[in-house]
Amino acid sequence: MVLQSGRDSERPRLTAALLGNPNTGKSTLFTALAGIPTRIGNYPGVTVEEKVGRFTHRGVTIDLVDLPGTYSLTAHSPDEQVAIDVLHGRMADLPRPDCVIVVVDATNLARNLYLAGQALELGLPTVIALTLTDVAATKGITIDAGTLAARLGCPVVRVVAPTGIGIAALGDTIVAAAHAPPPSPPDLSGHVAAIDGSRPPAARAAIARYAWIDRSLEGIVQRSAPARRPLDERIDGWLTHRLWGTLVFVAVMLALFTSIFQLAAPLMDLISTGVDTVSAWTEARLPAGALRSLVVDGVLAGVGGVVVFVPQIALLFLFIAILEGCGYLARAAFLMDRLLVWAGLSGKSFIPLLSSFACAIPGIMAARTIENRRDRLLTILVAPLMSCSARLPVYLLLCGAFIPNVAVGVPWLRLPAVVLVGMYAVGVIVAAIVASILSRTVFRGPPQPFVMELPGWRCPRPAVVAERVREAVWSFLKNAGTLILAMSVVIWALGSYPKPVLPAAAALTDAEQQGEALRQSFLGRAGRLIEPVVRPLGWDWRLGCAAVASFPAREVVLGTLGVIYNLGDVDPGEEEGATALVRRLKAATWDGTDRKVFTVPVALSLMVFFALCAQCASTLVVIGKETGSWAWPVVTFTYMTALAWLGAFATYQLGTALGW
Amino acid sequence: MFSGSVARLPYPMSHPASLDRLPPGHATAITDVVGDDAVSLRLLEMGLTPGVEVRMIGRAPLGDPLEVEVRGYRLSLRHSEAARVAVATP
Repeated sequence: MVLQSGRDSERPRLTAALLGNPNTGKSTLFTALAGIPTRIGNYPGVTVEEKVGRFTHRGVTIDLVDLPGTYSLTAHSPDEQVAIDVLHGRMADLPRPDCVIVVVDATNLARNLYLAGQALELGLPTVIALTLTDVAATKGITIDAGTLAARLGCPVVRVVAPTGIGIAALGDTIVAAAHAPPPSPPDLSGHVAAIDGSRPPAARAAIARYAWIDRSLEGIVQRSAPARRPLDERIDGWLTHRLWGTLVFVAVMLALFTSIFQLAAPLMDLISTGVDTVSAWTEARLPAGALRSLVVDGVLAGVGGVVVFVPQIALLFLFIAILEGCGYLARAAFLMDRLLVWAGLSGKSFIPLLSSFACAIPGIMAARTIENRRDRLLTILVAPLMSCSARLPVYLLLCGAFIPNVAVGVPWLRLPAVVLVGMYAVGVIVAAIVASILSRTVFRGPPQPFVMELPGWRCPRPAVVAERVREAVWSFLKNAGTLILAMSVVIWALGSYPKPVLPAAAALTDAEQQGEALRQSFLGRAGRLIEPVVRPLGWDWRLGCAAVASFPAREVVLGTLGVIYNLGDVDPGEEEGATALVRRLKAATWDGTDRKVFTVPVALSLMVFFALCAQCASTLVVIGKETGSWAWPVVTFTYMTALAWLGAFATYQLGTALGW
Repeated sequence: MFSGSVARLPYPMSHPASLDRLPPGHATAITDVVGDDAVSLRLLEMGLTPGVEVRMIGRAPLGDPLEVEVRGYRLSLRHSEAARVAVATP
């Protein structure tokens, strides 16, 4: 796609690229310049987000390309490769930028100028946007921007993006720079010559760039306060303290987890009630039949199924944005790194994985905070193994109904509780094993540096926090939501068609008719078809049906069991529904015999299956959207289903052999 | 390999000192970054270049990674990475 279209060719247009280190306020500057992006997606073939915005400055239309946050342009990672390709005009759907804007953090000038130096070597018109000057001022740092501009040979504009200071001036400078000859690249030859020739060329260039930076910065930065900030240091001292650091960490994570688990619940209930109300209203106004069923059970249920995730996503990203804004997000990764290195991951995977205990969808989305592509993919692949809140009702019902309530060792420790904790442990242990195997095989590669900046402590900016939450919710609704909705309509159709052939003679109750309809539908037939596959797990065809029919979401399995056992639409969340379901499950026998279906090994094998399976269509859709490839959801579904089957098989066979 | 008493010394005199052995609160100058792979290059790119002062802030409660201060900012790096950074004995 060429951005310059014929119709607008008289109007001046240019493309600018926004380049900068992570944590420099680059996204805030993007929003301040271009507002809401006009295009968000992934660059072809890579998991790197492509974000383009358009704005008009004094009659000039500017397409602003937000490059991934990087520390250098050396192609260590796909992010850096994308930045390099865009800047060289090697991206298929983007013209070579007319101007590059380098975002430079005033509180961390030397290291940020490294990337600026590399940008100047590209021979593109360059503008430096000096951000966080207000934070620098509070730290007693003042910068002589005029002299810096003269030494670097390119304009330097001070901006405070959240308040809009300097944004107009930056626009003027971009337009002027794009039409001026590019600055001459920094002359590193003198510095390179001074370095030991035995070093590799890339290392010599890196050392030379810092020598050039040190020279360029001589006399430019004034510090009125001592460089060392005693308070900052004391905070870091506490947080790295064995006891206090761990306590603060546990408290913060507990707050994060309970808020997405508990705080989201009333909001989710509100959404469910809202959807129910609309459904009831629609049901009353549409004649019974296929259309009503499609609208109510397909579309409205699908919309509800999408919107219900919004509170958790919004709350989690609110937390992440606040933690990121104040500087604790990097510290959390710092504190947990050791634990996750074990599984071949890094500390940055902790929050995404923790959030996945509430729901894998916000968890997978939170993996956006992991810059390293390999770690991010691995985290996304194992996140659905964390026992999410949708599995809890399944565990609770089965543990309560089929696990004997006996004491384990001490009187207060009951077997059902031990099994419940065991189900959570199964997920965590399997995830650790899968991650460590994958990181040593499929994802093997040269050692990945975990050299991470720990940004200074600052107050989170409300505008930045709000934008982060808005972006997460919007991208979920727009990218994943529409697909989840479409999928729920397809699954509704598979569960409703073909229409059942009911025996004319026998008068069936509503519940019996519902059961018959499900059993005769495509989903029900699939369940019967796979009976030989689920037999070794100790399941009869009804359980197979329920497992297949719960593909949209695990929690559906209980409702589906209710329908299959002719209870009609029971609500397993309600006392009454749950009791009825438990009674029915306890009475269930193998067809034509009086052998009970549900024994302890069967209940355990069902729970292990649900702990490990990928029965959540929405998670698979989100994996597809977040990785930019439909191969990953297929991989996830395949490996998780295989593990779930093997786990359930081992559990049932072992349990039977031991005579549980 | 080392006897306990030697290993506890921050700088065994017979070995060049490396950043991972710098005790908390101590500062010294970087003399070299060993190795020529992506990890070593990334360390240089983050500003850990010869001649620069580096200060040890502390380590994570689980023992790894480390937190250091360099060029006016805080950096976290793992033991294995810090071991590549040779420093002057203060």
